[in-house]
Amino acid sequence: MADSGNNKSQVHEELWLEEEFMKDEQRERLIDKIAKENTQLKEEIQRLEAELQESTINSQIKEDIPETEMKFTSLENPENDSQFLNVSCSFQVSSQILYELQKGQALITFEKEEVAQNVIRMGKHHVQIEDVDVEVMAKPVPLNSGVRFQVHVEVSKVKINVTEIPDELPEDQMRDKLELSFSKSRNGGGEVLCVQYDKQSRSAVITFLETGVADKILKKKEYPLCINQNYYRVIVSPYIETDLKNFQAFSGISRRTVLLTGMEDLQMMDEEILEDLVNIYFQRETNGGGEVEVVKCSLGQACIAYFEE
Amino acid sequence: MSVTHDAALHALREEQARLKRRLQQLQQRRREFGDFPHHDQVPFPVPLVPLVFRGHTQQGTEGSKPLVSKLRICYPLPGGSALVTFDDPKVAKRVLQQKEHKIDIDECRLRVQVQSLELPVVTTIQVSTQISRRSVLVSGFPAGLRLSEEELLDKLEIFFGKSRNGGGDVESRKLLQSGVVLSFTKDAVAQHLCQAGQFTVPLGTKSFPLRISPFLSGEIQKAEIVFRPVPQSVLVLDIPDVLDGPELQDILEIHFQKPSRGGGEVEALTVVPPGQRGLAVFTTTSG
Repeated sequence: MADSGNNKSQVHEELWLEEEFMKDEQRERLIDKIAKENTQLKEEIQRLEAELQESTINSQIKEDIPETEMKFTSLENPENDSQFLNVSCSFQVSSQILYELQKGQALITFEKEEVAQNVIRMGKHHVQIEDVDVEVMAKPVPLNSGVRFQVHVEVSKVKINVTEIPDELPEDQMRDKLELSFSKSRNGGGEVLCVQYDKQSRSAVITFLETGVADKILKKKEYPLCINQNYYRVIVSPYIETDLKNFQAFSGISRRTVLLTGMEDLQMMDEEILEDLVNIYFQRETNGGGEVEVVKCSLGQACIAYFEE
Repeated sequence: MSVTHDAALHALREEQARLKRRLQQLQQRRREFGDFPHHDQVPFPVPLVPLVFRGHTQQGTEGSKPLVSKLRICYPLPGGSALVTFDDPKVAKRVLQQKEHKIDIDECRLRVQVQSLELPVVTTIQVSTQISRRSVLVSGFPAGLRLSEEELLDKLEIFFGKSRNGGGDVESRKLLQSGVVLSFTKDAVAQHLCQAGQFTVPLGTKSFPLRISPFLSGEIQKAEIVFRPVPQSVLVLDIPDVLDGPELQDILEIHFQKPSRGGGEVEALTVVPPGQRGLAVFTTTSG
């Protein structure tokens, strides 16, 4: 009685183990299949990228981003899990639209657009400056064009790039060696989730199970890869993804600011006094003006005037 | 065994989804972009942005640098960690001289690790732009237009979908920050519309002059990134699970305020208790 009972449970266990084994085998095969598909996708992507590169009309924009200091603002608790896997950085870049104010020129910003347009329409203005009648011309401000876009950067906390992997072994074996080496905690490694290895470019992306391992490894630029009792130094670097959004080219147009020219002969004057006189003149409706926001005159040195939204 | 398989499978599936998205993106671009009028030979119209001079000037005639704004960095903090921000960056520097700090509580000591917090910063960016063969950007919408997004898109599609208006079959439309992008099924339409540049379009009871310009897209060719430490903050790690959140906060604050321990005035202290997670947000000091 007891015997047959035991037998049954033993067969059960054997069947279960076999099932588990088959499940594992199936899973391994599935993993292999997906890995192969991914490699093919990568090849196609590379081909398309090369093709697009050639047929593209490239307008290269190279910008040096000015340095700024960061400060802690707040702690958030997002729902999205994936936000904890990366250090994400986002910012907006936009060209500065400016006008180079020459000697004898001034910029005047009116509160109302109609006033500015009217002043421009009138063209010539006779402004009394210290008993001298100065003919001032009012024109629209010629502004340059620029671009603006948003940049998103994600630095992974669980993935790293590995390069300069020696071409010593067949693909599968090298993948295993990579996994083994990067799992060794004595070298700073940790449990590896998966390895994406590209034999051709001698590079790989290692994904770790936990955050923190990547940071530790990246403290150094190299990592020891162990192959058959020999150690090779491979280069490690952060895994970074960048993306550009909302790219726009635009041209600045000034509707409320007017360019005044014709004051070159007033170079001996004090700029501020001239600005006050111009301000007073253009505030008068009888002169075709109206409420004035800002006046800037340039008599001595040329200067750059920034235009904002 | 099967657990790691599951995880590896998941990661591979994720990668495949990402690769497929990228492939689609590239395939669409190949369909769309290409040899359009060489834009460096013929200046092309772009949307106009109204700007104003507010008095900001700079002496001399040095070239201008691009404006960087809305800089925001999110840094995940693991469980059992804390972020200490000091008033004085010199204090932070001093605290960092010791990698391990021993914090006294009553009769025992907590051993924690202290390190500087390094954030990724983009120093140079190289962007390539392309002109679309099939899409145009519609801009110059009057302010105070009382149409919903859907209504606006419909009216634009109706107008520009007609060949008698100079348009053609519209494949897709989308509202962006800079205007509305209309994509046509044929190349010639976009080119023709851009050459005309301006169209008076009925939007409701009235018609308005709208600007048509080529649709540009940009892609990052190269971005140089360096890691810079946050001057006033230090990261405290490996905090053992012995105290509750508020208590832990107090203990840490007391410790890091002690000049005898190299500390100083603490501006902010954020604790992420063991078992939890948090996302620390950093912005620029100039606001």
